[in-house]
Amino acid sequence: MAAARLRLIAAVAIMAAWEALAASGLLFRDVVPSLWYIAKALAITLADPAFYRNLGVTSGEFLMAVSVGGLAGASAGLALGANRFLAAAYERWVHYLAPVPKIIFFPALLLAFGAGPGSKIAMGAISCFFPVAISVASGVRAVRPVLLNVGHGFRATTWQMATKIYLPAVREPLLNGLRLGFGVAAIGILLAETKLSKAGIGFLVMDSYRRFDMPGMYALLILVVLLVAAVNAALTRLNRN
Amino acid sequence: MAVPTLTVEHVTKRFGTTEFGVTAVEDFTFDVAEGEFVSVIGPSGCGKSTLFHIIGGLTGDYQGRVTVGGETVNGPHPAIGMVFQEESTFPWRNVIDNVAFPLELRGVSRAERLERALHYVTMVGLRGFEQRYPAELSGGMRQRVSIARTLAAQPKILLMDEPFASLDEQTRLLLGAKVTQIQQRLRQTTLLITHSLTEAVQLSDRIVVMTFRPGRVRRIVEVRLPRPRGDDILTSPEFGRYVAELWVDLREEANRGLDAAEHLAT
Ligand SMILES: Nc1ncnc2c1ncn2[C@@H]1O[C@H](COP(=O)(O)OP(=O)(O)OP(=O)(O)O)[C@@H](O)[C@H]1O
Ligand SMILES: [Mg+2]
Repeated sequence: MAAARLRLIAAVAIMAAWEALAASGLLFRDVVPSLWYIAKALAITLADPAFYRNLGVTSGEFLMAVSVGGLAGASAGLALGANRFLAAAYERWVHYLAPVPKIIFFPALLLAFGAGPGSKIAMGAISCFFPVAISVASGVRAVRPVLLNVGHGFRATTWQMATKIYLPAVREPLLNGLRLGFGVAAIGILLAETKLSKAGIGFLVMDSYRRFDMPGMYALLILVVLLVAAVNAALTRLNRN
Repeated sequence: MAVPTLTVEHVTKRFGTTEFGVTAVEDFTFDVAEGEFVSVIGPSGCGKSTLFHIIGGLTGDYQGRVTVGGETVNGPHPAIGMVFQEESTFPWRNVIDNVAFPLELRGVSRAERLERALHYVTMVGLRGFEQRYPAELSGGMRQRVSIARTLAAQPKILLMDEPFASLDEQTRLLLGAKVTQIQQRLRQTTLLITHSLTEAVQLSDRIVVMTFRPGRVRRIVEVRLPRPRGDDILTSPEFGRYVAELWVDLREEANRGLDAAEHLAT
């Protein structure tokens, strides 16, 4: 309760400071618009069918990206974690590539998948792949050997080992990896949309920037933050059950 | 004597390199006849679990041969069901689904496997706990889940590595009696690995006594006590004689184990 009050105080203080800055005239008026304008822009955006269309585009890209990247990452993680030979051969690559900002691959992805959703999905999928693969691989290695022996002792097939022992055993690292993966996938997709695209939330943000519609841009940013927070809260919930 | 269904022939297993390493098991030979209850007994660290994993087909890279029904064992054999020394329940499955696990692997329908699993859950005294998860059970209860799980697979040969070690004396005796009951009724071929003298004498037809490092066969003792062996057997003079006799062997080996440890410490 005290923490919630502290948060509220901080939020009110930030808004007050923003408003004071807007009123002071120290900065160019349009760079720090009054909260009132932002609220108005928020209402306009929320009433605009174009917003929902673009939100749909970004959401679709995001879902595709995390499905492809998450599945590929989980499979790669299982294989790397369970097979010492594969790990010796490829794990290094995964660790080297993981911290590389994926946006540098964007030009190549544009060439391969075009300026439409394809290149955005690829960006998101590549981003999502690495944290999931790394998290699952280390999770697999932490599975107690005796549980694997139980599976082998009952002569489980490779598929049964994967689905009935490894997968449930790595549930937590998998969900943590997915959580990180969702975050970087969203970053990758939005970043790609701001670079070159004809639709999506990232496109809208850049579009309002180009039109110098600052209140509209801030409204979009607020909406993105709220959406990401909502997704994160849903995942936390999922993690707990 | 019946035909041996399980044979261990000149099995030797080394860990590590030739210079640095331990010979865990050396030139180990014995067999288990069909329907027979054999125990392997030895002090801590003498190589019992190593032997257990070799017989279970989970450890390769050893010398010698293990056969089941005349076939050389090469990987886990369908006739063998294992109960591990360490805690081995699946924490993400409740009791009934843990026990039904081997049936699930074989594609038995859900209704049937739950029914069959319930039978074994009841047998180990966990009726009423079917829906509980391992984290909600005591260590001894979890071990009983592992035993029920292996029994549910209905193996021809039951292979157990100190399955009662984490149980208190009372539960151990009761469950031991239960296991012999099942074993006698099903004529279940059983190989029990243990370090408990009373357990070995109470349950076994024969006892293989191991030496400490390298683990060799020191002696094979035939237990000629009448069956069924109820609680009254525990207080009989013959029982005491077997225990005392085995204790002499075991004490010597256990002492060598302690000496070895002291030697390392100084
Ligand atoms: N994977 C391994 N790598 C190296 N050494 C091992 C390995 N497993 C066992 N050993 C060694 O082999 C010896 C026998 O171990 P083992 O686990 O078979 O003993 P145990 O008789 O089962 O003991 P306990 O009664 O305490 O369970 C020990 O000295 C142990 O250190
Ligand atoms: Mg052991």
